[in-house]
Amino acid sequence: MLAGFLTLFTCQLAGEWLQRVLGLPLPGQVLGMFLLFILLCVRGALRDDAVPEGLSQGSQRLIELLPMLLMAPAAGVFFLGAGFADQWPGFIAAVSVGTVLTMIACGLLLKMLTRGRKQGHD
Amino acid sequence: MTELMHTPLFGLTLTLLAYQCAMWAYTRSGKMAMLHPTISGAVLIAVALKALQLDYFAYYQDINWLNFLLGPATVALAVPLYRQLPLLRELAGPLLVTLFFGATFACASALLLAWWLGATQETLLSLMTKSITTPIAITVTEEIGGITSVAVGSVILTGVAGITTISWLFERLDIRDDRLWGFCLGLAAHAIGTSRAFERSPVAGAFASLALCLTGAFTALFVPLAVSWFA
Repeated sequence: MLAGFLTLFTCQLAGEWLQRVLGLPLPGQVLGMFLLFILLCVRGALRDDAVPEGLSQGSQRLIELLPMLLMAPAAGVFFLGAGFADQWPGFIAAVSVGTVLTMIACGLLLKMLTRGRKQGHD
Repeated sequence: MTELMHTPLFGLTLTLLAYQCAMWAYTRSGKMAMLHPTISGAVLIAVALKALQLDYFAYYQDINWLNFLLGPATVALAVPLYRQLPLLRELAGPLLVTLFFGATFACASALLLAWWLGATQETLLSLMTKSITTPIAITVTEEIGGITSVAVGSVILTGVAGITTISWLFERLDIRDDRLWGFCLGLAAHAIGTSRAFERSPVAGAFASLALCLTGAFTALFVPLAVSWFA
């Protein structure tokens, strides 16, 4: 698992370095994610399709931890202060109405695009 | 005791305790969307901080190294994405078109609705990432100058809005193919939607993870560029 962490940290470090050198407007860890994805694709094409055991375990552990890692930043919503009071209507409308509209639009578009192809398992 | 409450040890203990309680409530309720550990855990932390009269920003500083783990956790998302590669090839065209359209639509609809109801520029910047998974949303929001807490709140509530409406909605739209069902839920409602999709079927879950990773990657690329062009 520590070998997996080493891979993840190295990719993130490389991503942070690329971001600074190239002055990209993308976060370093997102670049790190792309780097790791490309590495896995290259490795898959040359040697072995399977994800290395350590990396598989390490990434699994971190992804399982996500709900906990997100709690503290989410708690911040309760501490936005009086300055945010007039922002709530827009905020609520965007996350509720916006999300429902997005699902309707995507569902209809994808249904139209896949018409005629064979149906997936129900 | 008062000094002890301002140490990382106290902050971490509080966080872990809140997580355990939240997990317990979530499992006991049969995984009710409103009790998702990120939501209920956040409420518990807020209540505890208010009760103990602690400063949120000081607490946030104390548990800084937990937030550090969000970086490698984001990198780790490359692993499930890589595992979905064969699934993607099969429906690549329609999925990519829907991805470009849907990720843009999610962003634009949120911006228009919030702007129309009088949100400030800072709030608007924090809403652009509402449909992508939180670790990516946090880093992108920091990059473009939004408010992290608002961004995380919008991501979580978007997830809740998605999973509580999709069954009813797609029944009306006559969309029953699990691949379509999962992809749309993962696209609009990221990780929370993905875990709901796995409850429907493994196929729905796989397509939701795929949409989660692709939407995250696309939005992370597109939002900072769009902001740097327009701002």
